[in-house]
Amino acid sequence: MRLTAALAGITIGAGHAAAQGRGGSVTASWGAQATLELVATNLVPGGGGGDRSLTEARIVMPVGMLHAAALGGRVRVLAAAHLEKYTIPNGELAPGNWGESFTDRRHPHTLAHELMLVTSDLLGNVDGRVNLFLAVGKGFVPFGTDDPMSRPAVRFPVNHHLSQILERAVVLAGVRAGPATLEGAVFNGDEPVAPGSWPAWDRFGDSWAARLTLVPLPGLEAQGSLALVQAPENRPGAGPDDRKASASARYERGPWYGQLEWARTATAGGAFVFHSLLAEAALTMPGHRPYVRIERSERPEEERVFGNPFRTRRPLFENSIFGITRWTVVTGGDAVEVLRNPLRGAPFVEVSWIGIARTGGGVFDPTVFYGRTHGASITIGVRLAAGMRMPRMGRYQPDAMHDMSAMSVP
Amino acid sequence: MRPSSARTATLLLLAAALACGEGSGPGPSHVLTITAGDAQTDTVTHTLPAAYVVKVTDAASAPQSGVTVTWTVTGGGGTVTPSSTTDANGLATATRTLGTAAGVATAKAEAGGASVTFTATARAAAPTHLMKSAGDVQNGIPGQPLPIPFAVTALDQYNNPVDSVPVAWAVTAGGGSVSAASSQTDALGVARTTLTLGDSVGPNAVSATSVGLGAPLSFSATAVAGAVFIRSLAIPENYGIHDQFIRDGLAFVCAWNSGVIIYDVGNGIRGGTPANPILVDSVTTTGGQVHNAWWFHNPVASEKRYLFIGQEGPGSIGSSSSGDIHVVDVSNLDSIHQVAFFHRPGAGTHNFWMDEPNQILYAAYYNGGVAAIDVSGTLTGDISTRMIDSLSFGASGTYTWGLQLYNGSLYAADMLSGLWQLSTTLGTLASVAGGGNEAARFTSDLWVANGYAYTGTWDHFRRTGLSGSLLKVWQLDAGGAPVAVDSILVDNVGAVSDVEVSPDGKLLMFSTESGPNSGFWFYSLADPAHPVLRGRYLEPSGVHTATFGTIAGKLYAFGAKNPSGAAMIILDVSSLDY
Repeated sequence: MRLTAALAGITIGAGHAAAQGRGGSVTASWGAQATLELVATNLVPGGGGGDRSLTEARIVMPVGMLHAAALGGRVRVLAAAHLEKYTIPNGELAPGNWGESFTDRRHPHTLAHELMLVTSDLLGNVDGRVNLFLAVGKGFVPFGTDDPMSRPAVRFPVNHHLSQILERAVVLAGVRAGPATLEGAVFNGDEPVAPGSWPAWDRFGDSWAARLTLVPLPGLEAQGSLALVQAPENRPGAGPDDRKASASARYERGPWYGQLEWARTATAGGAFVFHSLLAEAALTMPGHRPYVRIERSERPEEERVFGNPFRTRRPLFENSIFGITRWTVVTGGDAVEVLRNPLRGAPFVEVSWIGIARTGGGVFDPTVFYGRTHGASITIGVRLAAGMRMPRMGRYQPDAMHDMSAMSVP
Repeated sequence: MRPSSARTATLLLLAAALACGEGSGPGPSHVLTITAGDAQTDTVTHTLPAAYVVKVTDAASAPQSGVTVTWTVTGGGGTVTPSSTTDANGLATATRTLGTAAGVATAKAEAGGASVTFTATARAAAPTHLMKSAGDVQNGIPGQPLPIPFAVTALDQYNNPVDSVPVAWAVTAGGGSVSAASSQTDALGVARTTLTLGDSVGPNAVSATSVGLGAPLSFSATAVAGAVFIRSLAIPENYGIHDQFIRDGLAFVCAWNSGVIIYDVGNGIRGGTPANPILVDSVTTTGGQVHNAWWFHNPVASEKRYLFIGQEGPGSIGSSSSGDIHVVDVSNLDSIHQVAFFHRPGAGTHNFWMDEPNQILYAAYYNGGVAAIDVSGTLTGDISTRMIDSLSFGASGTYTWGLQLYNGSLYAADMLSGLWQLSTTLGTLASVAGGGNEAARFTSDLWVANGYAYTGTWDHFRRTGLSGSLLKVWQLDAGGAPVAVDSILVDNVGAVSDVEVSPDGKLLMFSTESGPNSGFWFYSLADPAHPVLRGRYLEPSGVHTATFGTIAGKLYAFGAKNPSGAAMIILDVSSLDY
């Protein structure tokens, strides 16, 4: 799918190849995707014990992407509009997920999910084989692993807010030399407070992150990153800070994909510490793509909004929590590609076994609140996409922008 | 009855008696069967459209002609043909006219000792008037629904209730609102509406009207004096306001990371009033997180020099806590400054109580229980060595919310284990009684007065699945031990977050948060064992703490309104009827 505006010298293409445009021209690629799903779970918050179940049908991850490149790819604009503000304003049913005042539901992403200006190889041949790059805009902070949206499972992992920092106003500088890439960034610490919200501009620069990535072998990538995020849950900036660390190893070569990651967030000077360990793998086979993920992540239990056990109080006015729970989630699924062009479609089924345990003290008791300490969820649906395939999300170095045809949205 | 029939009946009677053998007595000579007219419905006093018809036969089912059938009204009033005679087919008829009472109407047909009963249903006639049936003349709280709905009954001319009659309700005085502007009478003839009183003290009235049923009926209610809103004083949105301490016309606002902010609300130093608080000074103590305060009036040193600040640091409720006590010198209100701090490793402070004559500060310390601290003399630097004693209690851990010295005992409210009576001898602590007395919910704040203790519950996560929060009433026995005697359930809130009794001991106040019934609640303690609701002031954002203050002889309530829109709310409660 390609349109060419000869006079303007703009090329709009559907695949990654379109971004490799002729030297003086501007090339652009677009893509769109959405997932239609039916989620059922017997792990429903609410208190009072007893068996409960909940089933919901939703459209999640409806995203439109536009990537434009100029000057032989040295300047790129990456834009992603996320329409979950309209499709899941109350979040996606996902026991264990938390963040941005949602709990046991994955929060909707902001409308302007990503809007970045990225430059690469700024010094050309002056610095030899070193590649210096900059990225400015609203997008991902160089910390942790790729956004779950560009990974195999539909269901987001519990550790999303331990292992990624996104939708921030960020200024990033990076340098790649050989197999090593070092990135550093400053950004605003506040997390989005609503799907339509923008970063608190007056807080820009109050937080930082750094990530070192090594590619020792083809397809193998390891990263370690650190971040200080000031008051992420209090937009005015009054809340406690998060000191975050992440390490991961990722392999992607041919049909194989695998990732092992560890993350740690220490909040309020270490008053609360949350850990995560996650392993996932996917295999692309003719016509379908099975995957599995095993995760053990901790999360805070906070006061819920009266009458809505899926939301926590915002703004916060205390730094206390009601306890820490550890979520063990084993997720497996498979997707079968039934449509290829121009609309790609892959029905899928995904099953998660979920266990909850208290760690340390606190008054929170999952037995009372959920009526059980283990449960399951099942998701069936179809992933639809057109145009370019979704790239890795969370990295702006030049060689990390390849698409994820082997493992993500079809 | 003709003679032949009488003879026939007599012979049949004898035959039946012989057939039954000894001891069975005489049986009926006829068999009566209803053939028409049963189970009709009509309006009261109407003659039923179909006649009652009964068939008289002999034992062999042969129709008996000329038999006299006697008809009698047995229920529901009205009339029926007294008697009739069977025709050649054995049929006898009667006319039934219903009485004035709606409901079941019965009549009996009888012949030769046999009988059958006809049943009819009498409907009420057209409604002619309304009658008040419930709810008139009540007292309530301004802006709140009355406890009893207003009810009218629609009646016909015979005072039978009439269903499906439309009734229109209208507020005619007081400016309130009704739950239903129109309603229909139910099967019992009753229509209802509930009045939410107007916001002002005074009479309220509601009329009930039904077209064609006479003049409107008027219900009355009175909105009795309640809390009067005076001022909402905005507090920086820096985690907002957690508590306030009111003394000598000064309000010490505990504004978390904005520190402690002192307002003149009637002291005179700045000319402030409750309606116009004026800033005096502020200071952010080390670490911020300013949660609570106590202005120490030292009778020994005759000084009002120190303000104790509780810092509520991060914690996991029920198991861990952090935060120090900070000491601020307020002897010069134009230049207040921190002079000392008290630190307990592994525990953070919460609410205070001061034994001022003995210069001992008692501090709740969450997972650290209770601490007694010597605060005599000059306080500078690290005063952590001044702890006299500490005490933890509870079989399944301690997480102490608040405490109060009363009648020689120290009462402690523990989130996990309930209300405790402790002894203190100049700060040396020991457990005496109580504890293990609130397992259904987590306990929050307390106040002790009049020989009774009042505690709240904090139960956002429903410890045992029960909804709502309690205000519990405890009678202190001769030894001071608490014995639960009453409780008040406040539904639709997550916590009774603060409890206090007015200085005269007659008015109980508690604050609530997390739910639609969040706000201030006021109860009369005319009977201290059984508080009676006298008013409430709802605040949807929730009120974290509430504190009485007497300014220029009037009683006010000061409350910490939760973010967003954090503020100190000031209410005049001097006109409450308690």
